[in-house]
This record gives sequence, C-alpha cells and structure tokens, in this order.
Amino acid sequence: MNLFDSNLYLGRPTRGAYAPAATAVELLAEMDRQGIGRALAWHVAQRDVSPVTGNAMLSEAIAGQPRLYGCWTILPPQTREVFRKGEDFFAGMGRNRIIGLRAFPGQHNFLLNRQVFGKWLDVIAARRIPLLLSLENGVTWPMVYQLLEACPTLTCVLCDIGIWGVDRYTWPLLENYPNVCLETSLVALEDGGMEATVAQYGAERLLFGSAFPARYPESAILQLRHAEISDEDRHKIASTNLERLIAQVALEAEK
Amino acid sequence: MSYATLKEAFYAEGAVTDCPVYDLHGHMGAYYGISFPRPDAAGMVHAMDRAGVKLLVFCHHGTLMTPDVGNAANIEAVRRYPKRLRAYCGINPNYPDVIARDIAEYDQYPDVYVGVKMLADYHGYALTDARYAPAWELADRNELLVLIHTWGGSLYDGPAIVRQAAERYPHARILMGHSCHGEWDKAIALVKEFPNLYFELCAVLDERGVLERFVGETGSERILFGTDLPWFNHHYYIGSVLGAQISDEDRHNILHRNAERLLAKYEL
Repeated sequence: MNLFDSNLYLGRPTRGAYAPAATAVELLAEMDRQGIGRALAWHVAQRDVSPVTGNAMLSEAIAGQPRLYGCWTILPPQTREVFRKGEDFFAGMGRNRIIGLRAFPGQHNFLLNRQVFGKWLDVIAARRIPLLLSLENGVTWPMVYQLLEACPTLTCVLCDIGIWGVDRYTWPLLENYPNVCLETSLVALEDGGMEATVAQYGAERLLFGSAFPARYPESAILQLRHAEISDEDRHKIASTNLERLIAQVALEAEK
Repeated sequence: MSYATLKEAFYAEGAVTDCPVYDLHGHMGAYYGISFPRPDAAGMVHAMDRAGVKLLVFCHHGTLMTPDVGNAANIEAVRRYPKRLRAYCGINPNYPDVIARDIAEYDQYPDVYVGVKMLADYHGYALTDARYAPAWELADRNELLVLIHTWGGSLYDGPAIVRQAAERYPHARILMGHSCHGEWDKAIALVKEFPNLYFELCAVLDERGVLERFVGETGSERILFGTDLPWFNHHYYIGSVLGAQISDEDRHNILHRNAERLLAKYEL
C-alpha cells in the first residue's frame, strides 16, 4: 500500500511527546519504519513557538527532502506577521514545497472567519490550497461551520476529528461542501466509520493520516489495510486523493 | 503461512489464529451521543470476525442507561451468540431495587455473566457509595470481574475512589476501564499496590506512549484489551498494540493470555 500521510508533525512540542521526530531525517526514518512513502508535514514550533518561527523551521527542515511537503501556518493578515507587505506569500510557498496551510486559532488567539481573513479566504479557495484544521488543536465545530458558510468552495481538510464519534458533525459538512475532506487518523477509530463514510460520500473525501507522533501510525494503517472497502477506494485514501489535491494547488506569482 | 512478527501477521491477514483477541470492554446498541454504523449484536460479531476477536465481554448501553431495558438486553444477546459473547451484569445505583433483583437472580445466568459493570461517572454516585455494595459483595465473594469506568480527576471513579474500592473488595477482579484516563502515574501506582487491579486499554491506546509506560512499570500480565465496541475499531486498537515498543510476548499477554487466565473458570 502506497501511503501518503496528510497529518504528521516534526519537532518536539512544549509539553513533550513520546518519541517524536526532532528532525526531518528522524521523521523520514520513522516513515520508513511504517512504510509511509511521502508526507504533508507541519512543524510543531508553528503551534508552540510562533507561526513565523515555525514556518521558517519547517521550510528549512524539508528543503532537499522530496518525500516531504509542508504546511505553513497562517495568522490574521492585519498583523502582517505571516502575510507580509511586499512579499508574494504564494510564490514563497511554491519555492519551499509548501502546498497546504494550517491554522491554530485557539492557541494563537484569533477568529478564523470572514471578518478576519476577508479576501484571503477567496484567494486561498481559488488557488485550491488545502487548509488543514485540527479539531484537537484550537478549532471547534462551530468555527468550521461558520468558516465554510463564509467560503463554501474552500478546500478544507479536517484532521484529528475526535475520538467519540463525530459523524453528526462531519457528514453535514461532506454533504454541503464538496471540497471538504476528512483525515483518517480518527475516522479509522470509529468502528465501521470509514466504511459508512465511503458508502455515503465516496472514498474521494478521505485522506490517510497517521497523526504521528501523537498516535501510533500502525493504528490507522492496520485499519485501512483491512477496511471493508474496495482496493480502488483503499488506494485513493492511502495516497491518490492527496496527490489529486496537491496537483490542483496553484502557487504562481501574483500579477 | 508463518510470519516473523505479530505485526507482519496482522498486517497480512487481519486476524491471526495463534493470537486470538479477547475484548473485555464492550457495549452494544444505540447511544444518544453518537451515530453508530453497526451497534447491534450481528454487526458487532461481524466486526469481531474481521479482527480475530474470539470473545467480547460487554454491557448493553440500554442496560446502563435505563432500567426499562435492563439486563434483559445482555441476556438476549449472549444467548444469541453464546460462543462469542459474555456479559457484565449492569449496575445502576439510581435504582437499588433493580440492583437487588439483578443480584438475587445473578446465579440464574451462569451462561451469560462473568461479572458486573459500573459506570459511576454517568450514574452520579461514587463507586464506593453504599448503593453499589450488594454488587461489590457478590463480586468479592465469587472473585468476579468488575469492569469499572475510571477517569482521571473524577470524584466518582478517579484513582482515589478506585483505591478505596480495591482495598474494600480484595477478592474482586477489578478492571480499570480506561485506566484512570489521564492520571497514568496514579493508575500505575494502583496496579503496583493492589494485586486485584488490572489496566484496561480502551481510550488509552489513542495516546502514543502510555502502553509502553504501563508495561515498563508493571509488566504486561495485568493489562487487558478493550475497545468499547461498537465505539472503537478492533484493528485500530490492535494496531496500537502492534506499534507500541513492547515485545510480541507482551502483545500475546495483552491481546489474549491475560484474559484467558481471568476467564479460565468459565465454560466458554
């Protein structure tokens, strides 16, 4: 099974974690141990230190590592910390193999909504840049609903969706917003949850994720290997859905 | 076909003949907070087959949430799948009269019950409240399994309450469901101190590194596998056990040997 992991991080978090990967080399070694070919990574310093510092650390870490793509973390454009005046943000993403964005509104003290991000939401949506939001990292369901109501075409990947079964939250989003996908590290936890989601909305809406180092990659891998879905759907979830999302991202320079 | 490791075997086959799985923490039926894809007995046995789960010990959600369903739901399901299911007699301290009746009738169901289940956080009485006493005394007298929901910080079933119960009922085989979730050090201390206490891994395994601490501190002989089925997927949690930095001997203990030892006196 060719695995392209949509949800893992490198770096050592403030509050510690069991055997994290401090560097890209360590992360690649762990991926090799797990049979994970490629990954869309973020750096925990983006959350725990500062998005500006962490974004730079991530870019440096994945430079020259063709198996790793990155997500930068965004902040409200008004403070000009991440979206800087005079800099082409999207061209910078392209130069650094950054093909996704993350936001941690709870930790970073802002509201992820239209009032704050204004036209940036439309630009991100038009460029088909995936915005990855972790429900374990400062994002709430009402926040997700309001964001997507404000920008229904946004490519949004919901990660770490919760351990107690959240189909009543996720399925209305899958029904109403065609560019919403779910990362599987906790979809896989719900007994029968992956099969039910695939039957209802198609395998195209799920992206394999391990949530390393917070969770054991073997959990999501073993579940996916033996999920009662077709091999074609398994292949989509394992890698081709994320490949498709990346192929759609437009990072050409602003005119 | 033989494999070098359990991980290779489960990855290839999904179910492994020489590593049957015993799930000692299950439920059954619909529940208000979640939309379950397959919560009925047939769906759950199908899920068990997929992962090589030989036996599930469960307590029906209906039993735990209302005496209007009661233990009849457990009895009916076990008798429908007698080779795959056993039940905990559900105890709700809000209904002492129902407890008295169910305890009086317990011995009528040797083919169904292997112990009792208490869900103190949800029922609103500490595990040590006198309302539970008839069930604890039954379990202590007969060395029954007692599956208790435990959670770190809880005034109803947190580590301090578990300690009191373990002291008071030394012959009951007490399974700490969720292993005092979050207060791992206190759970470890309890298992070290009380030989009648066991870790149970449901909702523990989605946090990487905790199982390694349990095994490192206490060995793997007092750790039991559980999933809250129909909540959580067997392959997901088996994958966690496979991913933990422990030995395959530890994995055999956790996935089946420890349960086989605890259930040896029952005809399964």
